[in-house]
Amino acid sequence: MLTKKQNLLETIRGGKPDRFVNQYEAFDCSPSAPFGMIFSDPVMDASARPVIGGPPVKDSWGVTKAWPANVPGAFPVHDQEHKVIKDITQWEKVVKAPTLDYPQSEWDKCKAAQLEGIDRNELFVTVFGAPGIFEQVHYLMGMDDCLIAFYEEPEAMKELINFITEWKLKYAKLVCDNFAPEVIFQHDDWGSHKSSFLSPDMFEEFLLEPYKKWYGYYRQRGVQIIAHHNDAYSANLVPAMIEMGIDIWQGCVSTNNVSELIKKYGGKISFMGDIDNGLVDREDWTQELVAKHVRRACEENGKLYFIPCITQGGKGAVYDGVYDAISVEIDKMSKEMFK
Amino acid sequence: MAKIDEVKEQVIIGKTKIVPGLVQEALDEGSVAKDILQAMIDGMKVVGDRFSAGEIFVPEMLIAAKAMAKGVEVLKPHLAADASTSLGTCVIGTVEGDLHDIGKNLVSMMIGSAGFDMVDLGVDQAPDKFIAAIKNNQNVKLVACSALLTTTLPALKKTVDAIRESGLSGFKIIVGGAPVTQKFADEIGADAYAPDAGAAAEKAKAIVAA
Ligand code: B12
Repeated sequence: MLTKKQNLLETIRGGKPDRFVNQYEAFDCSPSAPFGMIFSDPVMDASARPVIGGPPVKDSWGVTKAWPANVPGAFPVHDQEHKVIKDITQWEKVVKAPTLDYPQSEWDKCKAAQLEGIDRNELFVTVFGAPGIFEQVHYLMGMDDCLIAFYEEPEAMKELINFITEWKLKYAKLVCDNFAPEVIFQHDDWGSHKSSFLSPDMFEEFLLEPYKKWYGYYRQRGVQIIAHHNDAYSANLVPAMIEMGIDIWQGCVSTNNVSELIKKYGGKISFMGDIDNGLVDREDWTQELVAKHVRRACEENGKLYFIPCITQGGKGAVYDGVYDAISVEIDKMSKEMFK
Repeated sequence: MAKIDEVKEQVIIGKTKIVPGLVQEALDEGSVAKDILQAMIDGMKVVGDRFSAGEIFVPEMLIAAKAMAKGVEVLKPHLAADASTSLGTCVIGTVEGDLHDIGKNLVSMMIGSAGFDMVDLGVDQAPDKFIAAIKNNQNVKLVACSALLTTTLPALKKTVDAIRESGLSGFKIIVGGAPVTQKFADEIGADAYAPDAGAAAEKAKAIVAA
């Protein structure tokens, strides 16, 4: 039997996997972290996160985040009073990048807590990253302003994006120096379940080069796999994803017609997902419902360049039991399809 | 091209800086305010259709709506204060526990551009907030509820139930949001569902006229 690591590599390289890669299993290297990936470092830990039911907090970029008791997740607050950038042409006056200046001893603590004990034979040293470049922009200014500014103030938007990218490159250096990751699992959502936020042309104009730089840097530092989470319709952005250097698009929701994408792009990029939260992660979920969706995904997409997975950006689900139910069904499909 | 047709074209391509001036020129040329408004509504319908068809994206829709809003500002003083240009009031909001509003805002813009007066409650709105808004606003013909999370689908049902049980009438209820389907909308007794903002405006007009 191949190790989890080998099996994943065989799958994305068009080799001979001996079973389906089961969701996040190969990235699940840090059991105590929220999503099982390396999550904690001095820079990230310094940024305040709201707790459920608690008061709103300001993160290290100055973005106010709230998490009222009755909602399932935290949320940036974008009323006129709270948004960081009120006028994009004046962004330089209000955007302050978080410091990256921490004593090595603090990084060492995080290394000791998270790197020790990883079974490197089975698992990739995987570092979790969020938010992405686009998300950072709309966290600072609110989505409506952000999307309008791409048209009305393109130069200012490019400057801001460049500023964020340069910061991310410096942060990436620290991550590589300290964790030497094999996999980067980076979030940036690029659309709704039916369409990408930006047209492919606009997406390429603003985001392709920054991402090429950023992911290119990781690659140059020895990162083997760039896995990018984007649980949206983005079939129209796949050529750009490939050019950016993404190896695995995690979160591809079923509206993308994943099996078509595999036919078209398999070998250049792999697809992880096609089991939508919206379809299985519901109050009224049942094992049968989960089984039906897992079966469809596995049968349609086949054994190569595809990893069946819940579409959300980390192991787990909103409703208890759903994630594990998916895993059980994937194992069943492996027995059936990999005889 | 007549100025009024230019207004429509420039709304479609979202020229926020040009549209107000064009609206003024159309007025100066002698076009009636109501017709200019209709031209912009027609323009937004084109925008909605193109969005539904996947030909344009959210930013294009936002700037078109913004261009129209700028045009309407110029037009406002010339539009008769009577309700003859309005299809009625639409109360819109995202249901309790849900803070997503991008889709709801687009739907609001499109239903508004189709000729409804919008009362936007914002996000995380409990059923009684919807009910209060229906009571406190005149001529409510449509209630639109948005939900983006599977965890808030039950809140969507609760909202529709509560509105029905309130005994208030004279309006239709339309629901939508990524996890919502026609089937779910039927199950919870909503009058209509639409998959996107363009379609929402069309559905809104149709059910209110019915
Ligand atoms: C952008 C986004 C956010 C932004 C929202 C910013 C904002 N101001 O709204 C941020 C980052 C803040 C966010 C936060 C969260 N999100 Co969110 N988010 C998204 C994302 C990527 C896109 C949603 C969106 O704006 N789409 C763009 C608009 C244009 O599309 P739309 O909303 O679908 O609307 C269209 C149609 O649905 C329809 N429509 C919408 N409303 C209505 C109403 C009517 C009446 C009609 C007729 C039609 C209609 O017309 C619209 C226009 O065409 C989706 C992913 C996805 N694939 O949808 C996740 C998603 C909805 N989020 C999700 C989650 C879990 C969360 C969080 C809990 C995460 C967290 N832990 O922080 C919090 C939730 C906080 C809360 N209580 O609401 C999940 C929901 C999963 C589930 N089980 O349902 C999704 C699906 C992502 C995922 N798979 O994990 N999110």
